[in-house]
Amino acid sequence: MKVLTPKGEQLELLTVNMGPSHPATHGTLRVFCALDGETIVASMCEMGYLHRGFEKMVEQGTYTMVLPYTDRLNYCSAMMNNIGFCKAVEKMFAVTVPERCVVLRVILCELSRIIDHLVCVGANLVDLGALTNFWYFFNPREAVYKIWEKLCGARLTNTVTRIGGFYRDTYPGFEDDVRAVLVQIEGAIKDVRGLIEHNKIFLDRTRDVCVVSKEDAISWGWTGPCLRASGVDHDIRKQEPYYGYDTYAWDTVIGTKGDTYDRIMIRIFEMLESISITRQALDRLKPGPINTNDARLTLPDRNRVYHDMEALINSFKLIYEGVRPPPGECYDATEAANGELGFFIVSDGGTNPYRIKARPPCLTQFAAFGPMTEGTMIADAFGTLGSINIIAGELDR
Amino acid sequence: MSAPHIDTPTIPSAAPGIPLAKDALLALVRERIEVEPDPSDRWDLTVVVASGRLRDLMRFLRDDPRLRMDVLLDIAGVDYLAFPGHRDARFAVVYLLKSLAFNHRIKVKVRVEEEALEIPSIHDCWKIADWMERECWDQLGIVFKGHPNLKRLLNHHQFVGHPLRKDYPCQKRQKLTVNDPMVDQLQLRLRQLGYTVLSEGEIHAPAVRGGTPGEVVGTGDKGMQDPDLTTGTQVGDMKRSVL
Amino acid sequence: MTFKPVPAPVAAEVSLGDAFITTRVDAFINWGRRNSLWPFPFGTACCAIEFMGVVSSVFDLSRFGSELVRFSPRQADLLIVAGTVTYKQAPVLKRIYEQMPEPKWVISAGACATSGGFYDCYCTVPGIDEIIPVDIYIAGCPPRPEAFIEALVQLQAKIDGEAGKEQKVVGV
Repeated sequence: MKVLTPKGEQLELLTVNMGPSHPATHGTLRVFCALDGETIVASMCEMGYLHRGFEKMVEQGTYTMVLPYTDRLNYCSAMMNNIGFCKAVEKMFAVTVPERCVVLRVILCELSRIIDHLVCVGANLVDLGALTNFWYFFNPREAVYKIWEKLCGARLTNTVTRIGGFYRDTYPGFEDDVRAVLVQIEGAIKDVRGLIEHNKIFLDRTRDVCVVSKEDAISWGWTGPCLRASGVDHDIRKQEPYYGYDTYAWDTVIGTKGDTYDRIMIRIFEMLESISITRQALDRLKPGPINTNDARLTLPDRNRVYHDMEALINSFKLIYEGVRPPPGECYDATEAANGELGFFIVSDGGTNPYRIKARPPCLTQFAAFGPMTEGTMIADAFGTLGSINIIAGELDR
Repeated sequence: MSAPHIDTPTIPSAAPGIPLAKDALLALVRERIEVEPDPSDRWDLTVVVASGRLRDLMRFLRDDPRLRMDVLLDIAGVDYLAFPGHRDARFAVVYLLKSLAFNHRIKVKVRVEEEALEIPSIHDCWKIADWMERECWDQLGIVFKGHPNLKRLLNHHQFVGHPLRKDYPCQKRQKLTVNDPMVDQLQLRLRQLGYTVLSEGEIHAPAVRGGTPGEVVGTGDKGMQDPDLTTGTQVGDMKRSVL
Repeated sequence: MTFKPVPAPVAAEVSLGDAFITTRVDAFINWGRRNSLWPFPFGTACCAIEFMGVVSSVFDLSRFGSELVRFSPRQADLLIVAGTVTYKQAPVLKRIYEQMPEPKWVISAGACATSGGFYDCYCTVPGIDEIIPVDIYIAGCPPRPEAFIEALVQLQAKIDGEAGKEQKVVGV
């Protein structure tokens, strides 16, 4: 493609199409760019290759039937999506879940955040050519999946929460398993930090690459680790605390520059914070009920169902119709591994959601990817793509 | 062993800010622009604004030092066609905003009549609004007037209709034959950056696949130049069999 | 008319000792093909994450000769479609399949690739066999890593029974 530059020079640009099925684009992203040598001059991104109609499908079933769909938004940390959606519906009912449920949700959220970051950083380092870290990170991740299997039977897509509580309580020995896996994760993080922190190749390829300023990050609507990497101190767990996150001792991790290095390191340090939160939560985990006793949300006790007509009707209604939030429009957000995961729910008072709009954290980051990589080398651009952690499931919904 | 330019690994964050109460927020907005609270939001604050004042309101919300709603979280379109007892305009667009400084949130709602499916674009207020408006147009067919590149975001370029409308059947499938070459989009971007396109060259697809069938060069595969092979998806039950 | 007895063929082989194995050409070629399948992971969604688990150290696909994941269709003979395929993605999948050299096999991993899964809506292809032929289907949403391995073993058995002279014909 022949072009005239803004300065009036004639330039021959090479147009290159990457994706949607390219190893560097993580599956389903497409980047179409014009190159001058190896430098990207202009780049346009296309998404939607995994658009599978989340928002249309959830209108077809009941609120409980939405839960498996939320699993498949960010499939690297499915439980956080479950919990985010349940929290939004619980807000509509104005119910509070019991203490054990809250603490358990914190533990599952933080473990999910850790495995999400493990995949993100591990895959990102593979993009940069460092394969060993991937194996180091995937071993503790498999150990977490062992816990998920014991907890609910599924590895990846768990659907473990229910509106108003949980599908079931934990198994005996859950606390010990989690404590053991935390030690394993700490070991893996130590190994990986040892490999990358003083590695010249890693530092040269990530430092000062694709710097995103504070102002740009905010204008692009970034949230979560990427926003914090640009130096904005914002974490919903701190700023609008839910599930008692303000009562745990932990710090938000913030970067100073907003380059690829910061975005990777933030995730590594956040894992350490999450480990600390999980340990504190495990200490608080006391036996007790895991479901709210609100009859609009929770199935009645089986013994009562067999002997009490009202309980029987309640059970039938909940199973056949599901929950019925009051009519209205509600938005609620949680801090997921990638940033603010929000659900905007419109209820008409019926059994099926009238409209659910998921607010995926990585849409905002992928929208910025084209402009932020203009002016960098093409190889660095794809190192950056890993660092903003695009999960196609929630990007395209 | 702290990371070189994350000065210390963790920096203690500021105490949680105190968000303004719903009423105080509404009063502040009403000082400048005529808005109505939306009764359907029982939990937080949604203000309904006329589409003519939308851009003023958004700028005011973003820049006012007492509000500073600096993050546009999402743009959600709603089709009220099947909403029981709904009398108002068929569509609504809801803008979700939050403030990083004060931690308060607000939703801005604009009602859109089916006959005049047009509201002003705010792509110049937030960079992210560009893609969010594209998604809203793609899914619901609401036109954002003044948007520089209102193309489909989630559905493919041969898609007809808007799937999130309540009268679009859930299982009405639409097939795609050839992917969008996107050359026009790249040229648009180059022009935005101040370049002048003199001639269109060849499109290179290294090590792949996808994208621009029929235009791929340099892959050494003559078969790909064959128009019969590049017509895209042929649908039918194709079972592998052995003669 | 005199009758000459045909010499027993065994003697020749015995004289060669352990240095040779005699077999059919088909069996030899199939042995090679089935034990060095190079997969091209067409991973789009959740199943691809599970496939990452399959090739990593705990499940270790290299025990079955398929650890050499290739990201170019021209270097692969096994297409693993892991994840939902949408109509926007369908032409891409078809082209990738066409670009793979023969012989080639396809594994459809998971409910979405096999049937569209529970995404029965305007944008998803209800099973990739509408676009390309499939050899092995894996159930599950997503399939467990053991299911991936089972599918690979089944595919190896299938390859073992194939005859080299016969042409595979698509679309009949």
